[in-house]
Amino acid sequence: MDFVQNFPAISILLCLFAGIISSGLKGKVAKHVNTVLILIVTVLSASTLLYVLDTGEAFVYVMGKFPAPWGNEIRAGVLEAFMALFFCIIMLLSMFGGRKKLVDEVEESKTFLYYVLTNLLLSSLLALVYTNDLFTAYVFVEINTIAACGLIMIRQNGRTIEAAARYMIMSLLGSGLLLMGICMLYDLTGHLLMSNIKEQVALIAASGEYRIPLLVTIALMSIGLSIKSALFPFHAWLPDAYGYSTVSSAAILSSLVSKGYIFLLIKIIYRVIGFDIFGASKIINVLFIFGLMGMIFGSLSAIKENDIRRMIAFSSVAQIGYIYMGIGMGTQAGMAASVFHILSHAATKSLLFIAAIGLTDVSAGSRKFIDLTGAAYRNKWAGVAFTVGSLSMVGVPLFSGFISKLLFAQAAVQVNGKMLPALIVLGISTVLNAIYFMKTVIRIYTPVEEDRHSSVTFKDMRLYAVTLVCFIVLNVVLGVSSQPIVDLIGQGLAMFS
Amino acid sequence: MYYMILAILFPILAGTYLLVRKEMKNRRNLLITVGAALIITTALVAAALCFSGNGMLTLFSLTDKLPIIFKVDEISVIFSVMTVIIFVCAGFFSFEYMKHEEKEKRYYGFYMIVFGILIALCFAGNLITFYLFFEMLTLSSMPLVLHNGSREAILAGLKYLFYSLCGAYMALFGLYFIERYGNTLTFSPGGVISAAAAAEHGGILLGVAMAMLLGFGVKAGMFPMHAWLPTAHPVAPAPASAVLSAVIVKAGILAIVRVVYYIFGASFLRGTWVQTAWMVLALITVFMGSMLAYREPVLKKRLAYSTVSQLSYILFGLAVMDTGSVTGSLLHVLSHGFIKSALFLCAGAIIYMTGKTRVEELRGIGKEMPLLMWCYTIVSLGLIGIPPTGGFVSKWYLAEGALSSGIPVFDWLGPVILLVSALLTAGYLLPVTIQGFFPGADYDYRTFQKKEPSWFMTIPVLILTVLSVFIGLFPNGLVNYLMQIIEKIV
Amino acid sequence: MILMVILLPVIAGVLVFLLPFKKRSHMELFLETLVILNSVLVWSLLLHRPTEIFTLANFTGNLSISFKVDGMSMVFGGLVSALWPLATLYAFEYMTKEEHEKVFFMFYTMTYGVTLGISLAANLLTMYFFYELLTLVTVPLVMHTLTREAILASRKYLYYSLGGAAFAFIGLIFIIIYGSTTDFVLGGVLDLDKVGNMTNVLLLIYVMAFMGFGVKAAICPFNSWLPDAGVAPTPVTALLHAVAVVKSGAFAIIRLTYYSFGTEFLKGTWAQNAVMLVVMFTIVYGCSRAVKETHLKRRLAYSTISNLSYILFGVTIMTPLGMVGALTHLIFHAIMKISSFFCAGAIMHQTDRHYVHELDGMGYKMPAVFGVFTVSAFALMGVPGLAGFVSKWNLAEAAVESGNVIAFGGIACLLVSALLTAIYMLTIVVRAFFPGKNFDMSTLEGIKDPNWKMLVPLFIFTFFIILFGFHSASIVEFFSDVAAGVY
Repeated sequence: MDFVQNFPAISILLCLFAGIISSGLKGKVAKHVNTVLILIVTVLSASTLLYVLDTGEAFVYVMGKFPAPWGNEIRAGVLEAFMALFFCIIMLLSMFGGRKKLVDEVEESKTFLYYVLTNLLLSSLLALVYTNDLFTAYVFVEINTIAACGLIMIRQNGRTIEAAARYMIMSLLGSGLLLMGICMLYDLTGHLLMSNIKEQVALIAASGEYRIPLLVTIALMSIGLSIKSALFPFHAWLPDAYGYSTVSSAAILSSLVSKGYIFLLIKIIYRVIGFDIFGASKIINVLFIFGLMGMIFGSLSAIKENDIRRMIAFSSVAQIGYIYMGIGMGTQAGMAASVFHILSHAATKSLLFIAAIGLTDVSAGSRKFIDLTGAAYRNKWAGVAFTVGSLSMVGVPLFSGFISKLLFAQAAVQVNGKMLPALIVLGISTVLNAIYFMKTVIRIYTPVEEDRHSSVTFKDMRLYAVTLVCFIVLNVVLGVSSQPIVDLIGQGLAMFS
Repeated sequence: MYYMILAILFPILAGTYLLVRKEMKNRRNLLITVGAALIITTALVAAALCFSGNGMLTLFSLTDKLPIIFKVDEISVIFSVMTVIIFVCAGFFSFEYMKHEEKEKRYYGFYMIVFGILIALCFAGNLITFYLFFEMLTLSSMPLVLHNGSREAILAGLKYLFYSLCGAYMALFGLYFIERYGNTLTFSPGGVISAAAAAEHGGILLGVAMAMLLGFGVKAGMFPMHAWLPTAHPVAPAPASAVLSAVIVKAGILAIVRVVYYIFGASFLRGTWVQTAWMVLALITVFMGSMLAYREPVLKKRLAYSTVSQLSYILFGLAVMDTGSVTGSLLHVLSHGFIKSALFLCAGAIIYMTGKTRVEELRGIGKEMPLLMWCYTIVSLGLIGIPPTGGFVSKWYLAEGALSSGIPVFDWLGPVILLVSALLTAGYLLPVTIQGFFPGADYDYRTFQKKEPSWFMTIPVLILTVLSVFIGLFPNGLVNYLMQIIEKIV
Repeated sequence: MILMVILLPVIAGVLVFLLPFKKRSHMELFLETLVILNSVLVWSLLLHRPTEIFTLANFTGNLSISFKVDGMSMVFGGLVSALWPLATLYAFEYMTKEEHEKVFFMFYTMTYGVTLGISLAANLLTMYFFYELLTLVTVPLVMHTLTREAILASRKYLYYSLGGAAFAFIGLIFIIIYGSTTDFVLGGVLDLDKVGNMTNVLLLIYVMAFMGFGVKAAICPFNSWLPDAGVAPTPVTALLHAVAVVKSGAFAIIRLTYYSFGTEFLKGTWAQNAVMLVVMFTIVYGCSRAVKETHLKRRLAYSTISNLSYILFGVTIMTPLGMVGALTHLIFHAIMKISSFFCAGAIMHQTDRHYVHELDGMGYKMPAVFGVFTVSAFALMGVPGLAGFVSKWNLAEAAVESGNVIAFGGIACLLVSALLTAIYMLTIVVRAFFPGKNFDMSTLEGIKDPNWKMLVPLFIFTFFIILFGFHSASIVEFFSDVAAGVY
C-alpha cells in the first residue's frame, strides 16, 4: 500500500484535530491554523488526485484495518480527489475574500469559534466526499449541518438567528428523511457499506421483490438530500441563510455545503443504488421537473429581489435547479454536466458573493440597488469581478458558465423525452439570468452625479483583490480549457461504478 | 439614334440647371432660357423621330438582365408629338400666367425635367426603362402639384405621390413575374408571353396582369384609385394642371398600352376575367367621373373629374381590344390631350384675369373675354363629341369598336354608358358657355369690362383648339396611320 | 493575419483609452490611422484569401475557435471594413459635442474587431462567441449618454440580445450533435443518418435558432430594442444599429440557414414557411411603425427593422438566388441606411432638432445634407437607378423563381413596404424642401451644413448608392459566386 493512500484519511482527521485545537486558541492564531490546514489539505488532495490519475483506478482504504461490516472504509477515485481539491481551493479563496468583513461582523471573542466551525465543516465535506460507508456519510451530514448553522449564526443579529433556525429545521428534516432512507436500505440489504449495498440492491432489483420499499428508499434519500441542497421547492431557508450571514459563510454555504450534499447524492446514485436502477425509477423525473421549476422560479424571485445578496442567493436556487436537471436526465452526459456545473457554480457563486460585499461596502453597507449605483467605480476590482461572475452566470463564452450550459444542452439533446423542455427552460432561464445580473451590472456601472461614498483603492484591499483575481482566473480557466476537466469528470464517473 | 438620348437628357439637364443655379435677377432672362430650352427640345424630339428609324439603343444595364433601352416606334411617335405640342403651348402660356406665382425658377426647372422624362417614357424600349422613368415622373411632377406651398397643396402633392407610388409598386410586382416567365421585358408588338409560359403560369400571369392594370391605372385615374386626381390637378398652377391632366396622366395610358399590347399581348388577355374586370372598372369610372364633375362647383375641379371620366373612355377602348375601339382610344388620347389642356389653360386664364374659380361666378365671362370663351366652347363641344371636332371621331370609333367586338353585354352596355356620359359632359361643360355668353336679363352690364388676356395666353389656347378641330375635320390620314399600328398589335 | 485584424482594433481601442493624448487631434490621427490600417489589412486578407483554417484554441472536444475567409466573410468583412474608417471620421466630428469620448472610442473601435471576428469565424461556435462578445462591447456604447433613457435602452438591448443568443445557442448544440462538423459548409452540415426521425424536432430547433439570432436582426416580436437603442450617439446608431450589429444577426442567420442546417434540409418544410411569414410580417410592421413615428432616428430605426427583414426574406427563400438577393440587400441597405442615419446625425449635431416636424424648410439651409438624405430616401424606396432598386429586384426575382406561393406574398409585402417607405421618407424630404407658404425662414437662422469630416462620408455613400444603382452587374455576379460556393 502506497503512502499516498493514507492521505484522504489523514486530511479528514487533520481537520477534526485542527477544529479541536482551534477551540483553545485565540482568534488570530486560529486564523493561521485554518489557513495552513486548508493549504495542507489542498496539497494532500492534489497528491491523491495525481496518484489516482497515475494508477488509473480508485483505491479503498480500510480505516483501522477492520474489514466490513464492522470497519469503516474510505474510497478515493479521481472524482473524489478532484472534488476535495476543488473544495479546498474554493474554501481558501472564500476565507480570504471574506476575512476583512469577518473582523467587522463577528465579535472578536468569537472569532476563533468561526475557525473551529470552518475546520469542522471542511472535515465533514471531505468525509462526505471520500466515505464509502453510508452511515458515516450520515454522521458527517449532521456535523456538516451543525457547522453550517454555526457559520450562519455567528454574525449575531436577529435575522441570522432566525435564518439559522430555519436552516436547522429544514436541514434536520432533510437528514431525517435521509436517515430513514438509510435505515430502510439497511433493512433491505443488511449492509451499510456502499459497495455491499449495491450488490444486494442489484440482486433485489433483479428478483423483482421489494419494489415499493426500494422506490420509497430512493425517494426518501433523494428528497432528503435535495431539501438540504435547497432544490426548489424546498429552498425557503436559503435566501435568508445566504443573504444575511457573513460573506465567507455565504460563499462557503452556497458553493460548498450544498454541493457536498449533491455530491453525496451522486455518489448514492452511482455507488449505492446503481445508476440504472435509479434511472429506472420515477424519482428521477421528479428531480428533473423540480430542477426545471427551480431554474425558472429561482430566477423569477431573483428578479423581484431588491437586495443584491438575496438576489445572488435566489440565483443559487436557479443554479441548483440546473444541477438537478442534469441529474434528472438520467444519462452519463447529464451527470457529467451536473458535476461540471457543481464546479463552475461553486467558482462563480462565491466570486459573486465576495464581489457583492465589496460593492456594498463602498455604498455605506446598503444592499439596495439604488444605493449601489456607480459602486463599480468606487471599487473597481469588485466591479470587474462582479461583471465576470455575472457573465459567467449568463453563460457568455470564455467563462465557466458557458461550458456548463453547453454540456447541459448537449446532454439534453441526447435524451429524447426531456430534450425540448430542458432546452426551452435552459433558454428561458438564460434570459432571466441575463435580466437580473445584467441589470445589476449596468446599475453598478452607472455613475452618480455626486458621489457621497468613499472609494477604495488596491492598497486598501490587497488580499481581497488578489482573491478576486484568483476567482476570475479560476472562472476563465474553467471556461477556456474545460476539456481536461470534462475528461477528468468522465473518468471519475466511470470509476464510480 | 443618339438624338433620342439628347432629346431626353437635354430638357432634364436644362431643368436641373434651372433648379441649382441662383435666382435670376431679370425675369426676362429666365423666360428666354426656358423658351429656348422648349424650342431646342422640340427640335431634338423631331430629329429623334425622323432619324432614329427602328433601331434600338441600349444605354447601359442596371443589372445584367435589366438593360435600359430606347426605341422609337409608332406609339412613341403619337405620344411624343402630343407631349411636345402640349408642353410647348402650356410652357408659353406659363410665361404670362406664372407672373402671379412665386418661385418661378423652381416651377420651370421641374417643368423641364418632367418634359424630358415624358419623352423618355415615349421612347422607352422595354418595361424596366419605362418603369424607371415612370417613377421619376411621379417624383419630379410632385413639386408641380404642390407648387404654391399652401397646406392644401402640400397635402394634395403627397396624396398624388403616394397614390402614384402605390400604383407603380403594383406594376413593379408584375415586372418581377414577367421578367421571369416572359424572359424579357422588351416591348414587342403582340406580347412576349410564350404559349408555353401562358399554359404553365396562366393563372399567376393573369393575376399579375390585373395588378399591373390597376397599378398603372392609378396614373390614369381609374376607379378605385382615382381619388388623387381631382385633389391634385386643381391645386397646381393652371399650366401645370394642363400638362398634368392632358399629358402626365397619359403616361398611365401609355403604360397600359405597352403592357397590354406589347408585353402580355391582346390574344393572351382577350376573353379572360381580367378583360371583363377591366371593362367594368373603366365603365364605372366613366360614369362616376362624369357624375362627380356634374356636381362640382369649382371649375378646375370639374375639369379634373372630367379627366377621370375621359381617360376611362380611352381605357374602355383599350379594354375591348378590338381594332376599331383601340383606334378610337388612341385618337381620343390625342384629342383629349389637346382639348383638356385647352380647357385648363382657359380656366387658368380666367383665374389669372379675374380670380374667379367657381362656375356660378362666371356669368358674363364670355362678354369679358370672348376669344378665350369661344375656344372654350369649341373644345367643350369636342369633348362632348359633337362633330366636326376631334372628340366625335374618336368616340365614334370607340362605340363602333365596342359594338362590333361581340363581347356579350359590354358590346351594348359600353356604348350606352359612353353616351350617357357624353350627355353629362354636355351638362357640366356647357353651363359655363351658356352663362358666359348669356348672363341673363338681370346681369349688370355696367361692371362689364374687356379682360381679354395677353397673346402669350391666347395663342397657345388657340393652337390647341385648332388642333382639336383639325383632327375632327381631317381624321383620315391619322386614322389610317393608327390602323396600321393597330393591325400589328391587336 | 486573421487574428491580427481582429485583435488590432481591440488593442487600438484599449490604447486610446490608456494613452494620454495631448491634443484631441492626436487621438483622432492615431485612431484613424489604425482603423484605416486595419481596413487595409482586412482587404488585403480578403483579396489574397488564405484557404486554410486558422485555429486559435480548442474549446471542448472537437469544438474550436477558428477562423477562415470564405465568400460570406468577404462580403461582410469587406462591408464592415469599408464603412468603419468613414464612420470613425464622422464620429470625430459628431463626438465633439458629447462627453467622455475616450470610453466611447475605445468601445467603438473594439466593436470593429469583434464584428470582424463574426465575419471571419470558421465555425458556428466561434461565431456564437463573437456574437455574444459583440453584445457586450456595444452595451457601453448604447448607454453612453448615461441618461435614464439610455440605461433603460441598454438594459433592454442586453436582455434581448442575450436572450436571443440563448435560443440561438440551442441551435448550436443541435448542430454539434447532429452535424458532421460545426464548420461552415455551404449546403449545410447536418448528418442525415444521425437525424433519422428527428426531422421535426430539428426544424423546430431551426425556428428557435432563427428567432434567436433574429433578435439582433430585429424581427418582430423581438424588435423593440432597436428603436430604443437609438438614444446612443448617432455614429453608433448608424454604424452599429444599421450595419454592424443588426447585420451580424442577419449574417448569423445566413450562416445558420445556408451553412449549417442547409437549404436542402429546410426547403419546403413548415419551418421555412413559418420563418418566412414572420419575416414578411416584420417587413410590413416595421414600415408601418416608421410611418407613425415622429422622432427622426426612431423612424429610421423602424425602417431598419423592416429592411433587415428584406434581407431575411431573401434568406428564407432558401435558394442560391435568394441568398444573392439577401447579400445584395445586406450591402446596399448598409450603405443607404448609414447614409440616412448620418444625415440625421448631422441634423442633430448642427441644430439639435430630433423630430420630423422640426425639419421644415431645412433643405434650404443644409442643402448638402438634405440632398444626400433625399438620395438615400429614394434609394430606400427603390427608385430605379439607385442601389435599393437592384437589391429589391434581386429579392423579388428570387422569390418568383422559387415558385413558392408564400414568397409571392412576400413580394407583395416588399412592395407595400416600399410604399410605406416612400411615405415615411418623403414626408421628411417634402417638409425640408417645401415648408409651405407661410413658413418663416428666419427661425432657421444660423443653420448650415456641417464640416468636411461629416460631409465626406456622406458624399462617398451617395456616390456608391448611385454607382450601385447604375452598375451592379459585377458585384451581383460576385454574390452569385458566393452563393454558388465558388469561394
